[in-house]
Amino acid sequence: MTSYMPKASRRTGLVLFPAFDWCISPSHPEREERLLYTKDQLIEEGLEDVTNIEFFNPEMALEQDIDRVHLCVPSAAELMTHSHFISAGGALRAARAVMDGEVERAFAIVRPPGHHAMQTVFGDRGFCVVNIEAIMVEYIRRHFGIRKIAIIDTDCHHGDGTQDIFYNDPDTLFISMHQDGRTIFPGSGFLHESGGPSAPGYNINLPLPPGTSEDGFDMVMDRVVLPLLDEFEPELIINSAGQDNHYSDPITNMNFTAQGYARLNKNLNPDICVLEGGYSIEGALPYTNLGIILAMAGLDTLHVREPDYDPARFQQPSDMTNYIEDLCAQATKLFADRHRLQKEYADQQQVVERKQIFYDTTGFRVAETRVYHLCSQCPGTSEVVAEGLHKHIHGFCVPFNSCPVCRKKARDSFAAAPGEDDTLTVLQDRVDDIFEKK
Amino acid sequence: MIIGIDVGGTHADGVLLQKNTIVAKNKVVVDQDNLGDSIIYLLKSLLPKNGSALQRVHLSTTLCTNALVSGNLDRVGMFIQAGPGMNPDFLRCGDNVCFLGGAIDHRGQVIRGPGSAEVKKAVADFQRSGIDSVGIATKFSHRNSEHELWVRDQLKSEFTHISMGHLLSGMPNFPRRVYTTWLNSGLKKRFFEFKDGMKKGLAALGIDCPCYILKADGGTIPFVNACDFPCQSIHSGPSASVMGALALVGGDGDAILLDIGGTTTDIGLFADGIPLLEPYGATVAGRPTLIRALQTRSVGLGGDSRVLWQDGGFHIGPERQGPPMALGGSVPTPTDAMIVQGSIEAGSRARADEAMRMLCPDRDTAETATALLQCFAERVHEKVDEMIEEVFSRPVYTVSAFLEREKITPERLITIGGPALALQKVLEDRFEMRCVVPEDFEVANAIGAARARLTVEASLYGDTATRRLSIPEISLMESVGKRFDMMEAETRLADTVAMMARDMGAVTKPQIDFIERLEMNTVKGFATTGKIISLKAQIRPGLDEEQE
Repeated sequence: MTSYMPKASRRTGLVLFPAFDWCISPSHPEREERLLYTKDQLIEEGLEDVTNIEFFNPEMALEQDIDRVHLCVPSAAELMTHSHFISAGGALRAARAVMDGEVERAFAIVRPPGHHAMQTVFGDRGFCVVNIEAIMVEYIRRHFGIRKIAIIDTDCHHGDGTQDIFYNDPDTLFISMHQDGRTIFPGSGFLHESGGPSAPGYNINLPLPPGTSEDGFDMVMDRVVLPLLDEFEPELIINSAGQDNHYSDPITNMNFTAQGYARLNKNLNPDICVLEGGYSIEGALPYTNLGIILAMAGLDTLHVREPDYDPARFQQPSDMTNYIEDLCAQATKLFADRHRLQKEYADQQQVVERKQIFYDTTGFRVAETRVYHLCSQCPGTSEVVAEGLHKHIHGFCVPFNSCPVCRKKARDSFAAAPGEDDTLTVLQDRVDDIFEKK
Repeated sequence: MIIGIDVGGTHADGVLLQKNTIVAKNKVVVDQDNLGDSIIYLLKSLLPKNGSALQRVHLSTTLCTNALVSGNLDRVGMFIQAGPGMNPDFLRCGDNVCFLGGAIDHRGQVIRGPGSAEVKKAVADFQRSGIDSVGIATKFSHRNSEHELWVRDQLKSEFTHISMGHLLSGMPNFPRRVYTTWLNSGLKKRFFEFKDGMKKGLAALGIDCPCYILKADGGTIPFVNACDFPCQSIHSGPSASVMGALALVGGDGDAILLDIGGTTTDIGLFADGIPLLEPYGATVAGRPTLIRALQTRSVGLGGDSRVLWQDGGFHIGPERQGPPMALGGSVPTPTDAMIVQGSIEAGSRARADEAMRMLCPDRDTAETATALLQCFAERVHEKVDEMIEEVFSRPVYTVSAFLEREKITPERLITIGGPALALQKVLEDRFEMRCVVPEDFEVANAIGAARARLTVEASLYGDTATRRLSIPEISLMESVGKRFDMMEAETRLADTVAMMARDMGAVTKPQIDFIERLEMNTVKGFATTGKIISLKAQIRPGLDEEQE
């Protein structure tokens, strides 16, 4: 039979859940209206009828899915609304669609986003409570036995939450390209934040100058992202697909376009995309989302242009290009040095890191100390002590790739820890999928 | 009194109803090339003695379906404005297409108008190729029909038939809008001719009561209005059978309808006694459209489906290879199994036994027959499950809708069609629910056509930030006040639907339902700038109560 609709060359799944009845506050960028025009555009395009594109409803993530990744204070259930569980569940549904072979690629266009949510969670940070990509990654590892995963964060803001969660995991390559942290929230994401003692060089930040345009992003893809992926050989590539690098975004200062986003995704060829930020809800998101979907599905993206798109406006000054070129060289070197650095750290038994985490949405700070217990056989375990809003947590965390010896040590330490009244003491063991409180 | 006629592939059935009771019924063989004559012939046999007692004639016709199947559509000149988005090349509906420049965006705002030069050139091209029917479809015309109307105005009176996307449906989905517009344009001339023929025939019979056409959504439309929307008469057969089941059995609750025929089984679903509609519209000859339609699925499982025994199981259908063996055919069929069981008395019992032995040589034929019909019920059950799952999987966009989703939980089966009685027991066992086989089911479609009521649908999109209001179904576009709200929208849309119904001959005040209500603040910077209000209203498909 003749087909009267285009056929995607790759079977592509979409979880489109705009949560029209949820907002942080009525005039906040993360409000009901955010995906209204995107939904209108995608439906009007007739994507539901395109052969090989399939729509899925999200599902509810379980508390277990959250607790596998986060240390929520006081608990996941108390910090999260239905919307957060559905948003995380949307990412899980997209992942399952790909892992079960229902589709080859999937895009979770869901809100609220997640990439600013760190391992410990005391509230909403940068519009995020829980990290929906991280929850998805550990879900995939738990249920589908995948080990090596690359997360490419293309949101304009540094993916500091995702960085925090996977900082010491050499099986996760995290690359974040974003507007330079000296000029924008959350103020982090510099080159030197390049991974924990067990995973040096596996966390690559590309702080791009304000005004970076198509050329800059193309360069970063060609010189850093694609070569690193070739070398890392991940089993799965995830795009943390924020769309606020767009020239019309009201809270950022970049100069990227729908054509640029489409090309980036065509080249990156991610297995799963998860929507992050993007607040030019009328002038950008309908077009950037469509461009990403068509690129994932292997369809023609040439006609996806903003109504006011003019290629001449997106010429990048040459000194900016030179700056980005230099940045790319430094990032490549960090990754190239990873094995040498790993050896240097190998003799240490433990490394301590301290940081202050600012929760911008309601305005409070959390003081956190993380102790990495290192091991020559595995990435080791970590112990986290955090305090904020007069609440305390003491977590013992066993990553999915730790060895039996480290696991036993962590369990013993948890058992021996004094269960103090004012402190939530937690064992988070991803190997046995245990989350225990005392 | 009402006459209902359902034209099928080979036969046309008709009933004369008085207060919902059958006074007369008849069946004639149909000549698809002279449809009008067959219908008039059938009508004549059903006329009440007192001609003036006849209030309406309701007709479900295959005219448009035939035109499509046989490729007898008029050549259409299409004006398509796609704007930014997918590459629109695939929407080329034939050789006569003009892709217009300009665009309207997702909020109904004009980005740029189409150029008059490109329209002029296309008009000349279309005329040179002898085209007399034109379709105009622009992206987002359900939000703003300005460009479609503008193109129409440029055409003046150069073409006899013009169809515009926004009048055909207020739903989104641009490719469906284009195909619907194209289809409608291609059917117009044929439908006009059909109407003229029927008009003469009716006059010759002395019938001057209103005549209605059955639509795919299980509702009716006056014959006169149908001339503007001939595409809506497509797929009226399945909708007649759904409405017929509703008329014969009635009742609330969730239910499954099975119309089991010789080659196919058509499945329909009722939720709380209301037949379910397709989310966007029917798929017609492979093309997705916005033609509002009842949701039915046709599966290749019928009494005369060919049956094979392979890898330790029965394979039923989807094709038919001649009649059942008991009736002179050469391959075993479910009908043969029914004859072996004695639930159908027809043809040769010995041949039916032979059919069972062909399938399972070493097994008792009665046992084989039972197993085969159980397998038939199993296949139907699978398809019904798939369909219920599909309905449940329809996308939701709000947290509350997500949390409130409920699966259809049918309490009974309504089964019609030739093998219905013979399969009643085995279906009851498999579905574990009551299976109702209504009396007079052989004329269910004609009864459905007769009892169906007028349906109307309209959509409203109001944006108080851009101060625009649009009701596409009546080409309404006007400016709206800052204070326009949902209550006003409801009043406005209810009035529109009532007016449309009145124009189509409704005498009583219709029951109007609101669906798909959306109200959302728009924000710029950190200040609220207005509100977007989107609403649909309908007279939903149902039985005409005037006669009761």
